[in-house]
Amino acid sequence: MELNKYRVMWLFVFFDLPTETKKDRRNAQQFRKNLLKDGFTMMQYSVYMRHCASSESADAHEKRIKALLPPFGKVSILRITDKQYGNIMNFWGKVIVPKDPSPMQLELF
Amino acid sequence: MIKRTLFFSNKCSLTTKYEQLVIKNDTQIVKTVPIEDIGFIVIENQETYISVPALSKLTSHNVSVIFCDNKHMPQSMLLNLDNHHIQQRHFVNQINATEPLKKQLWQQIVKLKISNQAQILKKLGKNNSPLDYYASKVLSGDSDNREAVSASYYWKNIFDFNFKRERVGVYPNLFLNYGYIVLRAAVARALSGSGLLSTLGIHHHNKYNAFCLADDIMEPYRPLVDAKVMEIMKNYDEQDLITPIKLDLLSILTQTVYFKDKESPLMVALSSTTSSLQQCFSGKTRKIVYPNLWN
Repeated sequence: MELNKYRVMWLFVFFDLPTETKKDRRNAQQFRKNLLKDGFTMMQYSVYMRHCASSESADAHEKRIKALLPPFGKVSILRITDKQYGNIMNFWGKVIVPKDPSPMQLELF
Repeated sequence: MIKRTLFFSNKCSLTTKYEQLVIKNDTQIVKTVPIEDIGFIVIENQETYISVPALSKLTSHNVSVIFCDNKHMPQSMLLNLDNHHIQQRHFVNQINATEPLKKQLWQQIVKLKISNQAQILKKLGKNNSPLDYYASKVLSGDSDNREAVSASYYWKNIFDFNFKRERVGVYPNLFLNYGYIVLRAAVARALSGSGLLSTLGIHHHNKYNAFCLADDIMEPYRPLVDAKVMEIMKNYDEQDLITPIKLDLLSILTQTVYFKDKESPLMVALSSTTSSLQQCFSGKTRKIVYPNLWN
């Protein structure tokens, strides 16, 4: 579809956040919720991903995450193209499962 | 920004959680979609449930939510009343626009509409010289109504059979109407995004029409729908508005159009057009920016 031409991106956010104190846990929970609000979905615990229709939109989401960073802990953001994401291999146990389909521009429900 | 279009023809419930639109069928969550990624939602199934918080979040992201009547034709849409940070100033500029400015803008629009119509005829290998001639003769405010003269030539010649363009008419009027309504919703969305009032037209002024300005601005884009309908008529034998045809018509929104230095999908191009119109009203320029529909 048309969307691909406009350089579709995927953003990945990986994080390890401290959960020692009550405050830490609260920060971690807030960060996770903010990711969900920004349209990320959980791929695994502490690995979140999001489809961005263009690199400009990926820029915007990167910027937003930077503003939401918790005070402590490690957070990494990775941006790859839809083409690169296509090479992902997912295993459930030893069974290979197909990757999540990229959203289409026009969807029918 | 290119946004997603969602089309609901089966029974679903639409709610919201974490700024996402949650789409459920009878048994389970089918999908969640980030609301800010959505541009258009068409709700066709009469049994769809949509929650008020979902509606309000959709509105605040300027998603145009189009509701269809029981005959599956688009009937109404949501429009955000508080969309632009200095909307009040834009409204004032728009209301105070001088008569000469409006006439000049209308001249530009009609000229472009006719030459776009001429381009279609040319692509179909038909004689388009009258249209080219009419386009060159459009006066300020289109005072001698070249628009109507061209339209009558255009509709007589575009199809290979005897065709009469009507609001409620026989095949393929239905397809055209559907396409125009979608286009109109897209233009209305872009207008409200640029802080303009779609009710107050520059040429259209029917007191029963709430989308006069959208009707003005969409004129040069109409041939895009016409071309799509021709394509559909070639691909389908069906004379009714079946779902795949509707989807084809909706795909106009992402069709590529061509500016001088870049190409972009229609829904993005519409915003360029409406923001240039807003600058016309505020006196920064006197020219509306329209793309070429074909390269």
